[in-house]
Amino acid sequence: MKQLLTFSLIFLLFAACEVAPQKIAYGTDACHFCDMTIVDSKFAAQLVTSKGKAYKYDAIECMIHSYQDEFKDTEMAYKLVVDFENPGTFVNAEDAGYLISEKIKSPMGKNLSAYQNQEKAEKAKENFTGNTYSWTAIKEHLH
Amino acid sequence: MFSKTLIVCDSCEYKTIKSALEAAQDGDTILVKEGIYKEANIKVTKSVSIIGEGMPVIDGNEEGEIITIGADNVTIDGFFIKNVGLSYTTEYAAVRVVNSKGFTIQNLKLEKLFFGIYLQRASHGKVLNNKITGEAVTEFNSGNGVHMWHCDFVEVRGNDVRNVRDGIYLEFSSNNTIEDNFTLNSVRYGLHFMFSHDNKVRNNVFESNGAGIALMFSKDMEVNNNVIKKNWGTASYGILLKEINDAKIINNEFRENTIAITVEGSNRIEYMHNDFISNGYALRMRGASYDCKIMHNNFLYNSFDLSYHGPMNRNVFDGNYWSDYTGYDLDKDGIGDVPYRPIKLFSYIVNRNAQAIILLRSLFIDIIDFSEKVSPIFTPDNLVDENPRMKRIAHDKDS
Repeated sequence: MKQLLTFSLIFLLFAACEVAPQKIAYGTDACHFCDMTIVDSKFAAQLVTSKGKAYKYDAIECMIHSYQDEFKDTEMAYKLVVDFENPGTFVNAEDAGYLISEKIKSPMGKNLSAYQNQEKAEKAKENFTGNTYSWTAIKEHLH
Repeated sequence: MFSKTLIVCDSCEYKTIKSALEAAQDGDTILVKEGIYKEANIKVTKSVSIIGEGMPVIDGNEEGEIITIGADNVTIDGFFIKNVGLSYTTEYAAVRVVNSKGFTIQNLKLEKLFFGIYLQRASHGKVLNNKITGEAVTEFNSGNGVHMWHCDFVEVRGNDVRNVRDGIYLEFSSNNTIEDNFTLNSVRYGLHFMFSHDNKVRNNVFESNGAGIALMFSKDMEVNNNVIKKNWGTASYGILLKEINDAKIINNEFRENTIAITVEGSNRIEYMHNDFISNGYALRMRGASYDCKIMHNNFLYNSFDLSYHGPMNRNVFDGNYWSDYTGYDLDKDGIGDVPYRPIKLFSYIVNRNAQAIILLRSLFIDIIDFSEKVSPIFTPDNLVDENPRMKRIAHDKDS
């Protein structure tokens, strides 16, 4: 038992060293909020606490719910969303632009996608119709 | 007005399905003879039956969607449809039904697909005996085999779906029946419900999927007589229940799953007459679940029968058979005289520290489990089955 404890302590120390986003293993990792397996690299999201613990999400709506609910008092080093136009590539959630469009079906039914910035979101809106939001506005919208 | 039959073949008047569709009127039958038809974006806007004779091939040439149905009472029967286009932004399907009623889609073989059969705002239809084979082994941008969005009163029966994202997917869809289907090797789930109510799931077999059935954010569901097996892996479950109210999970067989059933935030669920055989965990209850009944099940040779978080919340464990039960029955009424505690201290340790699993089946663990059994400290002392059966229950599957 003692050895095990030492081992897990060392493991924890190493794991906690680096505060950085983690790679999502699509098809294997489960969403921290809704438990669904993360498969679609167009909608994933991630939170990394300032202590380096990473939480992965299958949809932006799950990340925002989790952020506003479970982690409302937790300091985050990274808040990341995938850029819809570059599947698998994370962008900073605060700088990103958001679009809710009937024509884009996100994993949790909110039809929500994210873009590198507000202009890119506006551009996507021309193609897909719907409404665009900033980080503050989308948090308000989902609250 | 009489309905007529239009014949499509290489040497016929109609050489393509599209040309026959143009000439057809409501109520007509289009009979397609054996052959290869290189056609995509076939739009069916009339109430016709399109019947294949000798499994003709429709090759979509990866140009996008293959058949789109936008009329009531359309039948598609007996085709081998392949090469659906792939796109990041458009969910192309082999066959799509939009805003229509009374459709029948049967005896199709679908390969090289993105989405297989995509029903959107479609109702009162049937999807029968199709064989859908995807290639989603490492490719995660694959679509679902049968995808239903805002669909009601649809019967999905006798389909064989393999290697896709979700075998059968329902979102905002109610009063549907999913029966006699087989799903294998889905990257995500064999059957997946999101915000879908009053659906029935019967007599299906789910094998080697990310999870057999995912029931999420839905209510009033019936899941009975299914076989759910070999869903094996770190995030793999037989059934995943997340925020479900009023479901009946009855007469199912769970065999060799990492976790047979995992539950969170689900109330008034009845788990009855199920067989849990050789799973890692039979039942994992992660809290915030109230008024559930776990009765008359067989728990056979699972590494752990139960993992349980939080207070009892009026959940009842009663009259189950536990293969680990070591009590006696002096009055010979078939019910053990000593209550059974399904939670082992070791399962509590493993929950807190997954690496401890390495100690499974060691003498040390047997000793701490025994001492916990004698005087429970860590496990909830009111989590007991007061009436554990002495013998395996023979379920009456017809009830």
